[in-house]
Amino acid sequence: MIFFVLLLVLVLFAQIAEFFIPVLPWLYNAHVYIVPVIVFYGAMALPFPLMLALALYAGLLLDALTVQVIGGKVEISTGTSILLYGVLAGIMHGLRPLFARGHWEVHCVMSGVFTSLIVLAQYLMITFRRGSLVFTREVWWQIAGPGLIAIAVAPIFFWLLQWIARMTAYSYGPERERLQ
Amino acid sequence: MSRTYIIALLIFGAILGYFLSFGPTTTQKFKAGVYQLLAPFLTSGSGLKKQITSVRSGLKSLEQLEHENSALQVENRELRATSQGLRDVEHEVNRLRHALNYRERSVFKLIAAEIIARDSSTWWRTVTINRGKRDGVETDMPVVTDTGLVGKTTTVSGTISIVLLISDENCRVAASIEGSREQGIVSGERLKTGMTPLLDLNFLSKQADLKPAQKCYTSGVGGVFPSGLLIGTVKSFRVRELDGQAQLTPAVDLSHLEDVFVVTGRK
Repeated sequence: MIFFVLLLVLVLFAQIAEFFIPVLPWLYNAHVYIVPVIVFYGAMALPFPLMLALALYAGLLLDALTVQVIGGKVEISTGTSILLYGVLAGIMHGLRPLFARGHWEVHCVMSGVFTSLIVLAQYLMITFRRGSLVFTREVWWQIAGPGLIAIAVAPIFFWLLQWIARMTAYSYGPERERLQ
Repeated sequence: MSRTYIIALLIFGAILGYFLSFGPTTTQKFKAGVYQLLAPFLTSGSGLKKQITSVRSGLKSLEQLEHENSALQVENRELRATSQGLRDVEHEVNRLRHALNYRERSVFKLIAAEIIARDSSTWWRTVTINRGKRDGVETDMPVVTDTGLVGKTTTVSGTISIVLLISDENCRVAASIEGSREQGIVSGERLKTGMTPLLDLNFLSKQADLKPAQKCYTSGVGGVFPSGLLIGTVKSFRVRELDGQAQLTPAVDLSHLEDVFVVTGRK
């Protein structure tokens, strides 16, 4: 439970930190997103109900801090990110057996892919509202860029979070027990 | 699937349904509430970022000093640190003096604000300022600097507000061109293609024939932006099938904003 609370705190601080991380001009102004990496790690490390709670919390924060209400219209409804995080974290949770066997690489790559999927979903939703579906090289890079960065930073974050889990004596691993 | 999983899914679904049912007003209130809760973190984060940037610039000076002898190195470092500190103070004094002058000579009632955070999302261009309802800021108030229009407030909480920049596709401003009777709508671009964004001025007549460097001002139509605020200068003009379109360079350097003013009315 301590580990779960720590994850909630980390998600909050990561979400705030994202405001202060500058965009990467050499990667078509791609943003750096840390929160998805933490949420997807939580999806592997936490039991199903807590994974859903984490997805709910992270999605709500994302909606509250990014979605804009302009001229009395909401482009992306509150709750959309909860749904996105819920579905993607659910898929990640399904890959737990691999994680239990120590295959982190798959999850690092999946974290990146899912981060890009969140950005893509946001783009498709605002495009649906604003019209004119445009897919230029810049758009692709702004979608793929955060994913590539997530893949690059995921091993560090996974290692850090694994270390925190050990420090807090967190040991949820039914698959690992079964494997042993 | 175990009973616990089903119960968890049902609770998740119920909460999700509740949030999805939010209308624009509820969403705005919810956003304002969350921003108000996070205001202390955003404000201290802004200060921390400034400190880190300052330390980083100090380290650069140290690297340069490594090539000099040890005695001079110490002395030089002290002098540089003092000088850097004075330069920061001088820069701030100049900046504030400039802002104060602008506020005094402006025809508008202005509230000075500092930018504490920039947009954290890919598809929206916003900044967060350290002024809110308690300072008299309300939704849909124009935000300017002494050089021109910045954008308008969208979500306002007690102590901080979100400003939608004119470089956002959703920020539409009725505009007119200096020295002509042409009027159009200025909006930003969906994509950030460079550090300096460009603006589109749409719905011009085909005969507009605008020349580079012509100035574009708010026309006052629409009610949000008062007339006479400089938006930018014409970069290029092209004739489309139904209308003319100009690309504008914003008057304000939106990527390096530090201080802004919220326009609350006319004096």
